[in-house]
Amino acid sequence: MSTETIILIVGYIFGFYMAWNIGANDVANSMASAVGAKAITIRQAVFIAGILNIVGAVFIGSHVTNTIRKGIISTDVMADPHLALIGALSALLAAALWVSFATWKSLPVSTTHSIVGAMIGFGIMAGGFSVINWSKLGAVVLSWIISPVFSLVIAFVMFKIIIRVILSREQAYLQALKLAPVFIGLACFIVILSFLFKTPLGKTLAVGTPAAVVIAVVCAGLLGFAGKWLIRRVSHQDTEDVFRRIQIGTSCYVALAQGANDVANAIGPLAVIYFLVKTGGVGAKVPVPLFLLLFGGIGITCGIAMAGYRVMNTIGTKITTLTNTRGFCVDFAAATAVLVASKMGLPVSTTHAAVGGVLGVGMARGIEAVNFQIVLQIMLYWVLTVPAAAITSMVIFKILFMIL
Amino acid sequence: MRLPFLSMFMTSPFEGLQEHAEKVKECTWSFQQAIECHLSENCKQFEEFRIKIADIEREADSIKRRIRGHLPKGTLMPVDKFEIFRYLREQDGVLDAVEDALDWISFRPDPGIPKALQKEFLLLIDAAIDPIDEMARMVTEARQYFNTFNEKQRNTVKEIIRTLRRQEHDADQLEARLKQQIFAMDTDPTTIFHMVRLAEIIGSIADHAENAGDMMRAMIAK
Repeated sequence: MSTETIILIVGYIFGFYMAWNIGANDVANSMASAVGAKAITIRQAVFIAGILNIVGAVFIGSHVTNTIRKGIISTDVMADPHLALIGALSALLAAALWVSFATWKSLPVSTTHSIVGAMIGFGIMAGGFSVINWSKLGAVVLSWIISPVFSLVIAFVMFKIIIRVILSREQAYLQALKLAPVFIGLACFIVILSFLFKTPLGKTLAVGTPAAVVIAVVCAGLLGFAGKWLIRRVSHQDTEDVFRRIQIGTSCYVALAQGANDVANAIGPLAVIYFLVKTGGVGAKVPVPLFLLLFGGIGITCGIAMAGYRVMNTIGTKITTLTNTRGFCVDFAAATAVLVASKMGLPVSTTHAAVGGVLGVGMARGIEAVNFQIVLQIMLYWVLTVPAAAITSMVIFKILFMIL
Repeated sequence: MRLPFLSMFMTSPFEGLQEHAEKVKECTWSFQQAIECHLSENCKQFEEFRIKIADIEREADSIKRRIRGHLPKGTLMPVDKFEIFRYLREQDGVLDAVEDALDWISFRPDPGIPKALQKEFLLLIDAAIDPIDEMARMVTEARQYFNTFNEKQRNTVKEIIRTLRRQEHDADQLEARLKQQIFAMDTDPTTIFHMVRLAEIIGSIADHAENAGDMMRAMIAK
């Protein structure tokens, strides 16, 4: 067996392991508000997250990945295929190791940031500090702040609107029912837009921006009224119950967004390895074969299936102060932030978006008690994750370089 | 497992407030029993009730400390942290006043409350106890309001606060009338001092309940 084949096999193993970790760690955060607000049961959460992560990964997940995620380091280091191969493998390995260390030590880290850090580490080893595109790195760092803040703002505004137009009204339930199409429609609108713009399926349809918006508005409107009709049939005479039904939908939305966004973390480096082994060279971008996306999606789903239950059980019992209207705002904000940011090509973390969403509702005075201090702690780990993954990646690169 | 999502959610202080209000409510029954016992000819159980109320007060105190100790800096809540503390102090004041009243009686158990004043005292005690039930209801309703921000719900809370104010006013008048009666009595100064002070302490139960209502009004202000 040639070295390349072995590397590819190892790459598959670690790619799967990374995807598994994403499933086990991040799903808890994306499904947490739905489970915490008792919109869905734990079993349903595992099921929804499992299926929709695969769907999101395969259909919305990026089919072209940058060789070096987000161009943080110059592609010059990829000129030597042998070096590139070792680099991609060590980055994947380092990120996976760092994430499992974090899981073991219960540190709140982001899988997205781990892979970015690991890539930087490899870049430094292969080409020195000069290959790092500092302005790009700066943009990435900025995006870590932007995505939670963006999510926070959406959640804040959303919750304030819900108070104003629904909760404070005399006939809150009827008002909720009346406006349900708007809220369902909004969520659908963003999903449809990202579907049309981001996915290969959408791209083959080749609709222009104005046409896409029109299509999205029409579809969202139809889906909104269909949703209202459904809710009217099943819901009890209770405002929160209306939002409970809507939240089932939004948690699907989060799972979809997460699958689309996070699959690249595991599959990006693997795609590079795959491409190198198959063709012997690599450019700035490599296509990601569909089966790799499916592979990543299945990896994430395995992680969800094996670890999700325990994690969500903890969440369901610990979070008692989240109601459905709040949960809806958190879900909506997180998914929107993730979809919009990943559309802009920024590496965002679902975890951070969800945290931002909760803080947004908290600042709108919607939750009985939220710990704002936790943000500082999370920020510390944002800062720590990148160098930690980078150093791990550098060490692994050195070792692999000596062996291969 | 330390999930960032999970560690953001803390135990709600409102849960504690409700628990504390229930404790306050719990003491009213024992308080009434204790007083009735004291007024009867040969009372054996007065000490028992007094100790029971002291126990309840201790439990309530630990709830109070738990609330105060678990709201770190940077906690986001529907209301200001110090509003909760101030509210809690008043709610706790109700219980303290109940305990004080029984303690005060116990310092001079022997002649007891003069026959001529007994009816008036019972009236005052009833007037002072009414706001306690109302206060416990207020906490529950207010929590409901912070959940929904519903205008109707807000008016319900405001109505309770108005009731509290009225009840305090009634208790005040009873207290004043009782004091007049005490001073009009032809008896030794020690008894007069004992009785006047007792009337004041019982009156202060309603005062604290009213203050709690005023604090709640500040908390639900938009």
